[in-house]
Amino acid sequence: MGQALRLGMELVAGVAVGGFIGWALDRFLGTAPILMVVFFGLGATAGILNVMRTAKRMQADAQSGKDLPHVPDDDDD
Amino acid sequence: MIEAAYAAEDASHGTHDGGLPNPMHQFEIKRLVPFELFGFDASFTNSALYMVIAAALITLFTVFAMRRRALVPTRLQSVAELSYEFVANMVRQNVGTDGMKYFPFIFTLFMFVLALNMLGMLPYSFTVTSHIIVTFALAAFIFIAVTLIGFWKHGVGFLKFFVPSGVPVVMLPLLVVIELISYLTRPISLSVRLFANMMAGHTMLKVFGAFVVALGFLGGWAALAFMVAFTGLEILVAFLQAYVFAILTCIYLNDALHMHH
Repeated sequence: MGQALRLGMELVAGVAVGGFIGWALDRFLGTAPILMVVFFGLGATAGILNVMRTAKRMQADAQSGKDLPHVPDDDDD
Repeated sequence: MIEAAYAAEDASHGTHDGGLPNPMHQFEIKRLVPFELFGFDASFTNSALYMVIAAALITLFTVFAMRRRALVPTRLQSVAELSYEFVANMVRQNVGTDGMKYFPFIFTLFMFVLALNMLGMLPYSFTVTSHIIVTFALAAFIFIAVTLIGFWKHGVGFLKFFVPSGVPVVMLPLLVVIELISYLTRPISLSVRLFANMMAGHTMLKVFGAFVVALGFLGGWAALAFMVAFTGLEILVAFLQAYVFAILTCIYLNDALHMHH
């Protein structure tokens, strides 16, 4: 659940932040709704970029065994 | 005006329309010591109480466990040393040795989130991290601090972080904006991840807890068995989310210090 949720969230966060920036700029400059549409698209792109980066990191971590918390080995065996 | 809001809230607290208990009731903020500061509601709430308990527990634990500083550690001292080693290794692996300067912050952050998550697993307690405003405040603080560290270390050169290498100049304006938005999503995804995991888990526990009662002596056992297993999973999630929160802070810190994706 954790990993899938993480990827989905990265995508949504990108769209949300992009949309919010566009909306705020529109309000500020009075250009509604042009900038919101533009930044919505840019946000979606950023979201996909984030998903790809996160997936790449997950894959690298899984291959090097770093995806699990590292606990120092105290055993004397 | 705030008094009116208090009154309206108190009136809505008592209402209960029968049937199963409301699974969201556990997330309710209650004012323990009402307090108003410059027109803002700055009451001491149950959320604040649990934060104080968490901070006090961690302080007591580390001070008390390391009191004797024995060469052969007691059980408690061993736990304290283990948590130190755990976070220290995380910082060394993800930020590098020069990141150890920020170890106290990462350690505090990890222990605080872990303590809040674990306190939330106690029956009748309150899970502070199930409120997005708390996790977002933490994430926003980390985000701003990390950005400032980046600018402090690299000066204006930190802006190069937003310029991907090996890209035609025509594409740059577009890509820089995308990189910037991608950077700005960090506090959102950091805070929503912790909040969503904690809230979803605790809601699920409450819903299945209600099933145990609703299904009665005959059918309740299946739901009870699931709850026992799910409580175990929730303890794992409580630890894992504290770990993820700390490790992502390390990764962001590494980006600011060494400037590579």
